[in-house]
Amino acid sequence: MKNPFDDFRDHRTREREIPLDSIIQSRDRVMSKIIKGYEKLLEEEVKELVWLVQYNTVIKAYTLAEKAVKEFDYRAEDIEEFCYELDTTDKIPYLITGPAGIYISALCNYTQEGEISLKLNDLKTQINLLGYRLPVGKKVIVEGNLGDFTGIGMEGGELVVDGNAKNYTGAGMKSGRIRVTKNIGLHTGEWMMGGEIFVGGRVRGMGKIVDGKVYEDEKLIYPRNYRQSNVYY
Amino acid sequence: MISEEIIKKIWPRVRKKHLFPEIPIPKVSEGKENVALEMKNKQITINTAFYDKIAHKMDAEEVVEALLDHGISHYTYCPWDFHTHLRLFTEAKRVVKDKERAKRSAGLFMDVVADTYCVKGKKTPLPEFYKQIDKGKVDEVITCLYQRIWGVDLCAKEDEEVVRRLARIPYLDKKQWDKSIQKFARVIKVLLEVEEEENRQEGSQANPMGDHGLDGYTLEEIDQGLRNFANQNVGLKEFKETFEDFKEELKEVGYGMEGGMGRGEGTPLDADLIYYMKLAESYSIPIKKVPMEKRGFLNPHSHSPWEIGRPFQDVDVWTSFGKIMPGITQTWNKIEGSTFGERESIPDCIIIIDSSGSMTNPRKNLSYAVLGAACASDAYLRNDGQVAVYNFSDAPMGGKAILEFTSERAKIYQILCKYFGGGTALNLNELDPLLEASLKPDIFIITDMKITNLGKVIGYLNNIDNRITAVYIGENTYALRFREAMAKKKNISFYNVTKKEDIPKIVLGKIKEYFQGNL
Repeated sequence: MKNPFDDFRDHRTREREIPLDSIIQSRDRVMSKIIKGYEKLLEEEVKELVWLVQYNTVIKAYTLAEKAVKEFDYRAEDIEEFCYELDTTDKIPYLITGPAGIYISALCNYTQEGEISLKLNDLKTQINLLGYRLPVGKKVIVEGNLGDFTGIGMEGGELVVDGNAKNYTGAGMKSGRIRVTKNIGLHTGEWMMGGEIFVGGRVRGMGKIVDGKVYEDEKLIYPRNYRQSNVYY
Repeated sequence: MISEEIIKKIWPRVRKKHLFPEIPIPKVSEGKENVALEMKNKQITINTAFYDKIAHKMDAEEVVEALLDHGISHYTYCPWDFHTHLRLFTEAKRVVKDKERAKRSAGLFMDVVADTYCVKGKKTPLPEFYKQIDKGKVDEVITCLYQRIWGVDLCAKEDEEVVRRLARIPYLDKKQWDKSIQKFARVIKVLLEVEEEENRQEGSQANPMGDHGLDGYTLEEIDQGLRNFANQNVGLKEFKETFEDFKEELKEVGYGMEGGMGRGEGTPLDADLIYYMKLAESYSIPIKKVPMEKRGFLNPHSHSPWEIGRPFQDVDVWTSFGKIMPGITQTWNKIEGSTFGERESIPDCIIIIDSSGSMTNPRKNLSYAVLGAACASDAYLRNDGQVAVYNFSDAPMGGKAILEFTSERAKIYQILCKYFGGGTALNLNELDPLLEASLKPDIFIITDMKITNLGKVIGYLNNIDNRITAVYIGENTYALRFREAMAKKKNISFYNVTKKEDIPKIVLGKIKEYFQGNL
């Protein structure tokens, strides 16, 4: 009787290596390092499962994040992918938007690329604190809405948000430029010490600004037409 | 020139390379000059006009082999089936938010997966083919991607950022396809918008590898795909949306025009109906059969001496010592079996479904009442029973729809999916003609029991001895009252449905007495 599998005798199942394999392997390696760094940050920062945005906690968290992200190389695409991993995966134990935002900011600040483009339109959660301490020479372009404390403590970089941002945008920023194409929340520019905030839509409320400029729909609203803090329009 | 001879020569080799897929030998046609390949109902057709454009650059056999590799990889790897196709489309649409762009994204993604699978695992002239063909803007980007992920020079100009992002997607990891297509769509979304704009100005440019329509699937595959899709935790809204997106194509391929689904030309395809149909097909509700008549078989009971003239077949050879002699030979006396001699069958069923305001609107959200009733009707139809439907809200005020006994599934579903809203009252007189139209039909009532004339309903059901399956949605005092009032009746079974998973637990026509009799 003829062996029915004879036709497959000379069939070679061995697949050849293509560059895609190594690209995916390297991507997975980087991603696992990024996730590990974030987990380490969470271990240190969220021991009590409560995380308040305070001057000291933010600085401490950023120092830890900085330390973690300096240890490996990554690209803007890795940062974007990490944002989606945070949003959807069960690989990461929990998403706490505060430390997550600080960690993503550290990733942006330490990547070798000058311009970082993040397409975050499909994120279910809004990331807070993105753009923290963005230094000179860095430009972060975000497609999608961001949460509270966007671009706080900026240090000369440029943050473009193609969407909305919530409260305390640009709080404590020293220099640089924030451009939000749609609307912005309350306490805009709270304790801002320099730099510019451009808002394409409406500014819902201003914070106590020390120095710097805020534009609403191309019109300067601070310092020229200063509005009372937290006035609802 | 591509000829039948070339295909006949190459086909055995290509089939073997792809482990003998069950598809017929490809055909050759004149076709359009900008589309190289078409696949309809598993039949691959290669357009010769397309080849004429690249004849001076590439050998005919290589072109045919490349096209067949591409076409077969779609069949054997991605999308593989219609369900995967729908899944990819839905995920892409989540990102691009537009039907046509989602179809294009899913099509391109399937091309990349199928081609990459082929290049990685088989010897194929696909890279050379992509190097030679004319490409539109998006196709050029995809060729750049191939160049990057296959490690072959395809003379494509790279758009560094886009290609870098696309190259990070694990195309060959099936488990990640849902996520992968989202990433893919996110990157090419802008390119598709630009392409659309250009097409508007310069006329549309077809995908040289053919469009990924529904032509490639058989009606059975489409049916199966929709069933799997409905069961894949997609809500009614999402199913409806996806179904509407494919509605025209489904009509074109003739889905829903044949038996089982809306017969005759012009029957509109109703997404809600299809959703409940496909979901109901996945649940099997058992029906207890009822004794319908005496069996009539004769069983050996006692012995008596054989006499001349009595039939030989009743002779008991063991007690007759092998002899045929009057007085010695013993015959069996037989009597009719009375204990196990009953033939059982399935009666018809009247489905009474509540569609008042307190019930979920089946066209907005998944209605457990409609799904439960649909499962019940399917169970009776599968067992050759017929089903009548009494859909009510405030029946005395006209809020009702009655369907007489039928075995037409589409008609039954149409009445089941009707939603009236408003008050809840039954016009019990209207049930009498239905009860008389069949031989002791079963009654299946599904409601939340918030019926204005519940007392009358209890009285009515108390006076009939048909088997009744009462399913109530959610827990409330009315349901409790109904249960208590009917507790002593042996011909009624109660089930509570609070979630989808409760539906298969319903046993239609289960009667306490019937079980007790058999124990």
